[in-house]
Amino acid sequence: MAGADFTLDGKSLNELGREGDTNDSMEKVFNDIVTQGYYLNNQKLVEQYVRSAPFLLKDLMDWGLEIKLSDQRMIFTSGTHIMDVLLKKARSAGVDLMQDVMLLDLVTGDGAVVGALGLDVHTGEFIEFSAKAIVIATGGWHKAFWPNTGMRDLSGEGIAMAHRAGAAVGNMEFITFCCNIMLEPPMWRGSLAPYMLSLICGGNLSNKNGDNVLAGYDPFIVKTGTGTEWNKSFISHATMKEVRAGRGFANGGVHYSRGDAPWDYMKMVASFIFPGWKYKAMDLSEWGRMLEENLPIEVGPAVEYFEGGIIVDERFQTGVEGLFAAGECALGAFGSNRVFSAITEMLVQGRDAGEHAASHALKRPGQAPALKVPGTLRERAELPLNRKDGVAPAPLRRRVQETAHERLGPIRNREELESFIAFLEDVKSKDLPNMCVALKDRIYNKEWIDALEMGNMVHLLETSARSALARTESRGVHFREDHPCTDNDHWLKESVVEFSGGSFQVGARPVTITSMSPPSGAVPYLDMMKRMMEAHSDTGGKH
Amino acid sequence: MGKTIHVKVFKYNPAIDREPGFQNYLVPFEKGMSAMDALDYIYQNLDGSVAYYDHAGCSLGICARCTGKINGKAGLLCQTAVEGDVTLEPVNASKVVRDLVMRRGETRE
Ligand SMILES: Cc1cc2nc3c(=O)[nH]c(=O)nc-3n(C[C@H](O)[C@H](O)[C@H](O)COP(=O)(O)OP(=O)(O)OC[C@H]3O[C@@H](n4cnc5c(N)ncnc54)[C@H](O)[C@@H]3O)c2cc1C
Repeated sequence: MAGADFTLDGKSLNELGREGDTNDSMEKVFNDIVTQGYYLNNQKLVEQYVRSAPFLLKDLMDWGLEIKLSDQRMIFTSGTHIMDVLLKKARSAGVDLMQDVMLLDLVTGDGAVVGALGLDVHTGEFIEFSAKAIVIATGGWHKAFWPNTGMRDLSGEGIAMAHRAGAAVGNMEFITFCCNIMLEPPMWRGSLAPYMLSLICGGNLSNKNGDNVLAGYDPFIVKTGTGTEWNKSFISHATMKEVRAGRGFANGGVHYSRGDAPWDYMKMVASFIFPGWKYKAMDLSEWGRMLEENLPIEVGPAVEYFEGGIIVDERFQTGVEGLFAAGECALGAFGSNRVFSAITEMLVQGRDAGEHAASHALKRPGQAPALKVPGTLRERAELPLNRKDGVAPAPLRRRVQETAHERLGPIRNREELESFIAFLEDVKSKDLPNMCVALKDRIYNKEWIDALEMGNMVHLLETSARSALARTESRGVHFREDHPCTDNDHWLKESVVEFSGGSFQVGARPVTITSMSPPSGAVPYLDMMKRMMEAHSDTGGKH
Repeated sequence: MGKTIHVKVFKYNPAIDREPGFQNYLVPFEKGMSAMDALDYIYQNLDGSVAYYDHAGCSLGICARCTGKINGKAGLLCQTAVEGDVTLEPVNASKVVRDLVMRRGETRE
């Protein structure tokens, strides 16, 4: 987990001892999450998010969470600190934790999940888990893209294995690209530092011709789309417009510099978020000098968050008995665009999914069912180890990642999506079945890990590309050049992808609505973005 | 061809090898590259067998799982800049799982 803010309504935040905003309410937050998601949200899950957030924050504070700063609707701390607090609590509750163990596949029997096969990547030995209930909480699948925001392990195995076991996935086309991610130098590639600094201090984005990237956009969109967390979708969209028109730089980005932002203010903010120009172990002092002199650094959008995922009901149960999912791997509360905190989502969903999974397990008396891991699962996993020659996983992985970044970015069109799907088909038929690792022994074999992850990455890329191709409109973080309107008459529905008999069936289902009725009509993308921004309640802050 | 550097990497599988050794690689130099960028290049282009901790790392100096010795000095592989020829070793060779990967919970000297 890399992130660090937790959002909730300002009134509850005030009641928890921070300033917050006493005029805020859960209803206002609900309104804002649904409009930020362009009405594609599952409103039952939005309600669960809004209602549960204050309790979760109280729990975290009781367990020792230290808050660095807060605004009307947010507390801010470090991601590693949240992890420490959670791990300490989990250990004290007697939870067994395992590290560097990779789940490979679920095992089902009579339509219910009964366990899973894992691999200890240090020893290369298989581990069998038998279980009455399983909660998938494997996060996103950032590793399918390069560059990304630093996650080297998130390859989407959890979503892919749930899909293989019979659970449906949904809204896979919605992928948030965080804006202003460092693209140079190589050591900083993927860092959010300019994103954070620009959100607070502003700055200037320019293209190859020296023109301001955001000039020409509606001033209200620019203001909201730079000064709040709407920046991810708006700036990523605007940046990709430049890059695709040939006005970008060598690494596929644009230039960020301090511009008119006062140096003293920026220095003060930086001293708070990167004390001594250190972002954890990253030494950004050279960048500090560049900012002072108003020199540019190349930044651009990189994959950061996945709105779609495994379809769950309000109990976080998937379509497979005993299988639950929570957090970023699940199709959650955010519809087609996330502005509010994903860390809140992870916590509120994790808690409820855990409770429901536990009560499900308690209803199944006796020991966990005897596990019969099909031999084919192991054999399949060992194929790349046993093959004598074939395709090397590492260069293949990089080729897939770079193509995904190019073809499944914030701006798409039919031609590119079709050619990407053809590329994936090719990888599936020619490369995946022939992957072969150079070193045959099992101990920390990086190529073997890559080979095991590859199939899952390609699987999810295909679900996403097929959903993006099917969705002939633009909404949230999905913009189709060839369908530039938000089509509220035909596309206010969630995309659904089922997987059976080795093939994908792309369909749709109605959006789950409780209290906010969606709009109608077809509206040009940026006009719709503006309408959704304007619908925000009167509470301030970044969300 | 642009500038290249020699990267000397500690290679050792305690289960098989009698003693550790080093392997040399020639890597294209890029300004602002880290030791991990050099290893990524080697892994992707020259030698798929090289092991360093990255399967669950962040590569941004946050998780601190990629500790190593860079020209004899302990640091994070992902946040130590490489400016010329370089030698990469684990922080403690007696706790190695393979090459630069150390046993769980023992990533320090
Ligand atoms: C750089 C960055 C910054 C962010 N900043 C913020 C922020 O400031 N605020 C915010 O709200 N959100 C932020 N987010 C998003 C937020 O961090 C995530 O949405 C959230 O952490 C998801 O939680 P999760 O528990 O669902 O998944 P994760 O936190 O991603 O955890 C998934 C875990 O599952 C493990 N795993 C995956 N596959 C397997 C497998 N096959 N076997 C075993 N284990 C597996 C992974 O190793 C990982 O530990 C950020 C994301 C990124 C990438």
